[in-house]
Amino acid sequence: MKILEVVGLGKKFDGFEAVKDVSFSLESGEVLAVIGASGSGKTTLLRCLNFLETPESGKIIVKGKTIFDAESQTGYSDSQIRKNRLHFGLVFQSFNLFPQYTALKNVTLACELLARSEPGFKMDKVEILAGIEGNAREILDSVGLSDRLNHYPHQLSGGQQQRVAIARALALHPDILCFDEPTSALDPELTGEVLKVIRSLAAKQTTMIIVTHEMSFASGISDKVIFMDEGAALAQGSPKEILCDSSNARIQAFLRKIDVADGE
Amino acid sequence: MLLDVTKNLLEGFAVSCQIFGGTLVFGIPLGLLVAFGSMNRWAPFKRTVKAEGRFASVLRSFKPIAFIVRVFIWIIRGTPLLLQLIVIFFGAAILIGHAVFDRVTAAIVTFSINYACYFAVIFRGGIEAVPKGQFEAGLVLGMTRAQIFTKVTLLQLIKRIMPAMSNEIITLVKDTALARIIGVTEIIYYGYRYVTAQALIWPLFYTGVFFLAFVGALTLLFAYIERKLDYIKIL
Repeated sequence: MKILEVVGLGKKFDGFEAVKDVSFSLESGEVLAVIGASGSGKTTLLRCLNFLETPESGKIIVKGKTIFDAESQTGYSDSQIRKNRLHFGLVFQSFNLFPQYTALKNVTLACELLARSEPGFKMDKVEILAGIEGNAREILDSVGLSDRLNHYPHQLSGGQQQRVAIARALALHPDILCFDEPTSALDPELTGEVLKVIRSLAAKQTTMIIVTHEMSFASGISDKVIFMDEGAALAQGSPKEILCDSSNARIQAFLRKIDVADGE
Repeated sequence: MLLDVTKNLLEGFAVSCQIFGGTLVFGIPLGLLVAFGSMNRWAPFKRTVKAEGRFASVLRSFKPIAFIVRVFIWIIRGTPLLLQLIVIFFGAAILIGHAVFDRVTAAIVTFSINYACYFAVIFRGGIEAVPKGQFEAGLVLGMTRAQIFTKVTLLQLIKRIMPAMSNEIITLVKDTALARIIGVTEIIYYGYRYVTAQALIWPLFYTGVFFLAFVGALTLLFAYIERKLDYIKIL
């Protein structure tokens, strides 16, 4: 079953086309890697999917339901956008954990706020909150942080912070989990622990979209690769097609540059 | 004699405290409102004006609510508090024909408006200093703007603005003495009466002791709050 279909997505900033007519689809459990040079529109694409930017053209269809259509006459209310956002999770490059909360509270906060707005909350308050906390503990355990529940973000290493951020996104059970260069802010020795967590999610059939510069990681984990260039999806296909066999001069030039950088 | 003076000054100090407390109670929420007003992004001409040129582009970025609020802040911060006290108390009475407020109320109203404008600028600085990523993280987790403000931004904001706010609040303690211009019988009014009526200078110094003690207590309170918020390390 197609879990996500993106059709003709476009986004402009003051006349500059950051994302141009990007279309792709994802099956449930697939992992999509988005690669390309800085400024090629990868991050903007993710931000559009999470409604941090409003696309000017195109459609976003999740599980067969159109959740965004730029042509829509009625537009979308804040609460609709908020609801649609929950189909997606987003892990930021810079973690963006909430500094005043412990790791556990960072993970439970959004779930608690959502639960509070449900009608039956008052009746089963204790039970619901216990359920949320149990879920959070389980997820933090699965990213290897069961001994860091009550640490504040500043007491954690970058890799641990990013794993809390992943747990925070997972706690809301998004259909599609997006990563925006999840390891770019990390020291090389901390990159591994975050990539390991993402690999374990892939093994559990989590549908993911990963913007990354880690080429060997991308080719190892992904079912599909999109190469973006100047806002457009220049090529898409299996990792082998894009990363090994592509005859496209642009892709070859990009991969050469990355190789040189890795070799340094 | 000392007991008598103390009793009198305490009476005046109670009035000073009324103005101080009232200004905090009304001035802080009002300041938050003014801060949001000054950051309002409503720009009605953004999409409607299509023309080219410098004037059109200025018009497109024109934000009327933010503009009006910022002009208001300019007027309030740009004129003496003393003048504002007189205008609000006597001006309003002349305009309407009879007294609108009693003296203490007029003082609290004026101080609240005046301090709200100073608070607003501090709040705006604090809000703008919270990284945008915090707000966006809240959004992608499905929170409403109000939830993000109260659950994510607010505490970080309070931590950031504490030093600046403690300055303003300490200044406010001493500014309450200005209310004497509209006949509020605050503490210095009583102190000064001893000078004019009995040629006694020491009660005036004694009023200073009240201020020092009060500001000392506030300083300890601010230090306590800052210590309490120490666990938040802004990343």
